[in-house]
Parts: sequence; structure tokens; C-alpha cells
Amino acid sequence: MNIFDKTWAWFTADGAWTDSGGIFQRLLEHLGYSGLILFFAALIAIPIGLWVGHTGKGENIVVGVTGALRALPTLGLLTLFALWMGLGLTAPVIALVILAISPLLAGVYSGIAAVDPITVDAARAQGMTEWQILTRVELPLAAPLIFGGLRNATLQVIATVTIMAYINLGGLGRYLIDGLAVRDYPRMVAAVVLVAVLALVVDALLALIQRALTSPGTR
Amino acid sequence: MSVLNNAIEFKSVFKTYGDNTVVDNLNLSIPEGKITVFVGPSGCGKTTSLRMINRMVEYTSGTILVNGEDNTARPAHELRRSMGYVLQQAGLMPHRTIVDNISTVPRLNGVSARQAKSQALELLNTVGLDESFAKRYPSQLSGGQAQRVGVARALASESSILLMDEPFSAVDPVVRADLQKELLRLQSTLGRTIIFVTHDMDEAILLGDYVAVFARGGRIAQFGTPEEILREPADDFVASFVGRDRGMRRLTFASGADVPIHPLDAQQTPWQQWQLNVEDGRPAGWRIDDRVIPGGSLFVAGGTLRDALDSVLSSPSGWGVVVNEQGQVLGLLKSDDVLEATERERLNRYGVSA
Amino acid sequence: MNWLQSNLQHVGELTALHLLQSIIPVIIGTIIAVPIARFAMGRRRDGRSTERTTSAGKLRRGLVINSAALLYTIPSLALFVLMPLVLGTSITSLLNVYVALTLYVIAMMVRSAVDAFDSVSPVTLEAATAMGYRTTRRFWAVELPLAVPVMIAGLRVALVSNISMVSVGAVIGIQSLGTLFTDGLRRDLPAEIITGIVATVLLALVLDRLLALLGSFLTRWRTA
Repeated sequence: MNIFDKTWAWFTADGAWTDSGGIFQRLLEHLGYSGLILFFAALIAIPIGLWVGHTGKGENIVVGVTGALRALPTLGLLTLFALWMGLGLTAPVIALVILAISPLLAGVYSGIAAVDPITVDAARAQGMTEWQILTRVELPLAAPLIFGGLRNATLQVIATVTIMAYINLGGLGRYLIDGLAVRDYPRMVAAVVLVAVLALVVDALLALIQRALTSPGTR
Repeated sequence: MSVLNNAIEFKSVFKTYGDNTVVDNLNLSIPEGKITVFVGPSGCGKTTSLRMINRMVEYTSGTILVNGEDNTARPAHELRRSMGYVLQQAGLMPHRTIVDNISTVPRLNGVSARQAKSQALELLNTVGLDESFAKRYPSQLSGGQAQRVGVARALASESSILLMDEPFSAVDPVVRADLQKELLRLQSTLGRTIIFVTHDMDEAILLGDYVAVFARGGRIAQFGTPEEILREPADDFVASFVGRDRGMRRLTFASGADVPIHPLDAQQTPWQQWQLNVEDGRPAGWRIDDRVIPGGSLFVAGGTLRDALDSVLSSPSGWGVVVNEQGQVLGLLKSDDVLEATERERLNRYGVSA
Repeated sequence: MNWLQSNLQHVGELTALHLLQSIIPVIIGTIIAVPIARFAMGRRRDGRSTERTTSAGKLRRGLVINSAALLYTIPSLALFVLMPLVLGTSITSLLNVYVALTLYVIAMMVRSAVDAFDSVSPVTLEAATAMGYRTTRRFWAVELPLAVPVMIAGLRVALVSNISMVSVGAVIGIQSLGTLFTDGLRRDLPAEIITGIVATVLLALVLDRLLALLGSFLTRWRTA
């Protein structure tokens, strides 16, 4: 039996999907962690990105911070926070929120900053308040780049949530870490397939939402 | 008119994209050593026709002869190196210095770096830029300067043919007027065959020895000297395209030399309250009572009747100011004299004696 | 600090290993990604060419960019453990890391190289063609040098991300600064982990700076 047959056998084994610790449970855990992380990252990154993009203040800081955050090794943060806070959900969530902020912030900031100043000027000349300019002109025009940042962050988070299993949490990474411990390749291949499919499906959904939310004029 | 050799000949040239005919049976002979202007509304195929000459666009059927030779006889890149090409946006290489930009074609043709460089420095002077520009990069130039470098680069090919695709349309009017004057000055010493594309009729009249008026659908509505086209538009399309200010434009071809010039003290008549201010021999506005009002356009002696008329119409006093090439006041033009001259010109044009 | 002082040599060795694993994939990946990106762009004759909007061109471009994006969805940890299956290497072989990270660099650089070629003004390319450049010479003399600024920007992102990703190899026992994380967690030594983080960030900052300097050296014409 080659590796593909073995992996297929792993997928189709009795209870592979529905058992405790089965695929459904791991998928839900993986999605839950990812959603939680993206939620907190968005809570931090979006307001900052909007403010900096709109006012043009602190651009250098944002560029510097997004670069520096990218350089921080997620595994290092994860292990460090785990030592400090114990093996709960808090440590890895904070580590991954830091990871996700960088692409989100970059997307929101550059999206707003890239809006043609003439358009903004025209909006102001027509008597829009700054808030109206932000919500009715800049946000809709920046939507493609903001979604780009969100999708980028989502892909990275879904891929990286796998290492949460390294500190004894769930998610699809369990199959990788457990499979690695006993050199069970079919299980590891299955994990890779599951993570990739999950990432693609979520990305496709986001693409659909983006299509529905952005003006045909900016596509 | 002496017999002219033809530098470029279009013979039954067609260009189609699918069902869309862009150039429709073009037959045209472009004389050597002259400026021929392709003019017409956008989408009339004038630029496409230009670009077929150096095969930036390949034509669908027909023949184009360049100096008597079919332009498909040799590889396109060799053909292109053999003629200069000036684009609308100068299209300089942003990563190369000005002098390297000008040397592009000579270097492609295998000229040594040293020789290409000294030639480039010369060309920089030819187009009116000093050598301090040599080491700069294109991003440090203004639009007009970049376009001058574009012309220098095209001249560097040392070919007899220069293709210019709306070269001055992206610069502001003042700079454009400068560049136009410069081109005419250059041409008077270089005598190249220049094909110049524009959508601006005034530019066509000013620059062209010959003008080809293109109509939509890619056909030539009229080919002739600017004067012929203004005097006898071939059809309604040409008439309407030439249309606006046609009467004024015509005066461009009439000399203002026979309009009498009145000495300055001619204005000292009792009914004349306007006084011309003169500083260092140059006009400096008109004085009336205690006010000084800036003067109108100046008529440079020997200019066209159009310039003469404009100097009269734009002058606050109704007197046109005549100056020499150095800007020194020579005298004044009277509006009645100018109108009389236009009248003489009109009768002359149709061969009727007064 | 005490921990660092007594383990200076060990950290030095791990930094050197980390450096190798960061740089080699970036170099190889870029060399592979640039031609792929250029191929995806299709023929670019000049500014007025309709070539780029043909359905075949769009298809090719979409295919290349999307397969690069697909590659990026695979977790780095997963790619490390799968490499032995594909390459027939042992699980702790350095080759696994090199190949896996090279794939990531390709995935990132294809995208930014496409953007880089896109950023070259069609007017300049057209001018070069009109001047008599042939395709190959135009690529080396005009198109590639003008694509450098955007490419360097992409390269900096790829390099920094790569440095951070190298540490994940430690989970499967491949030595790098990441070893300080796994070891520090096992031995309950925050100092060791912090040392690892600081060293990784410093490495990233220094290499990023060097790359930026290289970039401004190659593109003197922009700010000159």
C-alpha cells in the first residue's frame, strides 16, 4: 500500500470523523482558534490602520512596526508566553494575534492611504465630515486592499494555528505532532491536506464576501 | 516647386484589427528633408500610420518604402535603429543618466562608449541643454527638458528620418511654443525628413511643410501645404476640422511687411492721450493720465499679418508696437493700415485687383 | 544574561546555522521565481499592445499566481515533515528545510516579481523597442533593472518571513535559533527563549538593512 492509499484508509477508518479527537472536532477547534485570533487582531489593527491611513500621522511607525512584527518568530513567542502563562489558550492566542496584526494593519493602512487624494479632496469640498469621508469614501475604495490584508492574515493564521498543538492544544496540528512522534506519515499527510483544504475554503468564502461588499467600480 | 525625392512611400496600406479598419488604403508620398505633419481627430489612424513606418505596428497589407526599400526587407529592430523616434511622454530610461539615454542607439549600433558620449554631449547643446545635465537622471528633469532629451536621443541615430508622435502634447503651452520654435530652428540646419503626428491644427500649420489631414476610419481627407488646406479645404470634414479661426489662421501665411510703420512721435497728435512708455529702448506699457497699463502683444518686424493684427487688437491704445529681434521699439502700427493690408491680401488671394 | 554568557558559543553556532537556512532558500527561490514570473507576464510588446488582456495570457498569469498562493497555505511545519516523503531524506536532514523554505520563497517571490514587472512603465518599454532593442537585450538592459525596486521590496518581506519560519524546524529537531525555543520550553528557561527571540529579530533586522542598502545601491537612479 502506498502513502496515498494509507492516507485514504486513515480518512475512511471507522470513527475517523466523528469520534472524540476525530476530524470534525479538530476542524472545529482549528476554526475556533483561528476565528478568535483574527477577531482580536482585527480589533487592534483595523482602528489603528484606519486612523493612520486617514490622518497620515505615524505612517513611519506603522511601516516599522509591521516590519518588526514580521521578524518576531511565532514559535518563540508561543513558547515564551506558555512558560509565563501556563498551558492555556491565552499564551498561543496572544502569540498568534501578534502574527496576524502585521498583514491586517498593512492592508488597512495602505488601502486607505492609496485612495486618490483628489477623490478625498472632492469629498471634503462637497461638505462631507471627516467621519463621512472615512466611512463613505475611503473605506469603500480601500475595500479591495483591506480584504487582501484580511485574506493574507487568515491564510497565515490557519497555517500557523497548527503549532498550537506543540503546547498540547487541539486543532489539526494534533495530527502532525502526534503523527510525528510515532512517525505515522499517513496521519501527517492527512493533516496537511485538511489544513490546506480548510485554508482554501475559508479564502474562497472571504473572496465571495469581498465580491458582495465591494463596488463593481473598484474591481 | 522643385522635384522632391520621396523618403517614405505608403502604397495601398491597410491595417485592420478584426473587423475594424484603422488605416484604409493609405497612399502617400512623404518628401525628403521636409516636415510632414499627420493631423486629425483621435482614432483617425494617424499614430498607427506613423508607427507602421518603423514597424512598431505591423500593417495588414500593402507596402511601405523607406528610402526606396521595402521596410519589411530587414529585421524590425534594425529598421528601428535606423530612424529616430520621439514619443509623447519622452519615454526616457529612468535608470540611465541623460548622456546614456542619448547614447542608446549609437551604443546598440556598436559605436564605442567614448565616441557615443562625446556625440551625446554635442547633441545636448544642439537641443539647448547645457552639459551639466549629462550626469543627471530623467526623474530630475522637467517635462520640457525631458522632451528635449527625447529629441536629442532621436537625433543621435544620425538617420535622415525622424518620427515624432505627438511629442509636445504633454507639456504646457509656453514650453510647447518654445519646443516648436526650437524644432524649426533645428530643422533649418539639419534638413531631416520629419513625420510629426499631432491633433492640434495650429501646430500642424506652424510646423508642417506638408500636412496630411486624416479623417475617422483611417483615410486621408487631404494632403497638401498648410496654405492649400486652409485656402481650399477638400471637403466638409477638412473644412470643419480646420474650421475655427480659419480666417485668422490664413493670415499666418501673409506677410505683415507692407504695413506702414509709424514713428513713435506719430502718437503725439492733439487727440491722442495715450503715451508709450519706453525703457532702455524697450516698450514698457502705455500711460494714460496718471495710469500705466501693460502693453499688448508685440509685432516683431517682418512677422506675419496675423501677428500684426493681434498686436493692434491687443494693444490698450489701439496702436500695435513694432520691435526688432532684440526687442527694441521701431515704431507703431495703426489698425486701419493693418485692416487695409488684410483687404489687399484677400483680393490678392483670389487674383482680383483692387 | 547569565544564561547567554555561559552559552555564548552555542548561540553563535545556532545563529550561523539559522543564517544559512535563511539565506540559501531566499537566493535559490528568487532565482527560480523571477523567470516563472516573467513567463507568467507573457509577451509585452509595448504600451498599446492588447497582449496582456488575451484570455490565454490571463489564464497563464492566474494559474501561476494562484498556485503560488496555494503553496503558501501549507503550514511550514507540515512541509518540513512531508519533505522526507518526497525527497527520501531522513526527517532531521537540513535538506528538508532548504527545499521547503525555497518553495515558500518561490511562492512569495513569484507574486512580487509579477508586480515588479508590472511596475515597469510600458512607455519605457515601448521606447526601448522603438529604439531598436530586441526582446532579450531589452529584458536584461531595461526591464529587469527597472523591476529591481519592487523586487527588492518583495525580497525583504520574503527574507524576514523566512528567518522567522526557520525556527519552526526546531519542532522536528533541526538545529537553528528555534532550538532555543523548544529547549527553553522543555527546561523552563525563559532566558533561553528570550535570547532566541532577540537573536532572531536582530538577525532579521541586520539582513533586512543589508538588503535595503543593496537595493538603494542598485537603484541610485531613483533618488539621485
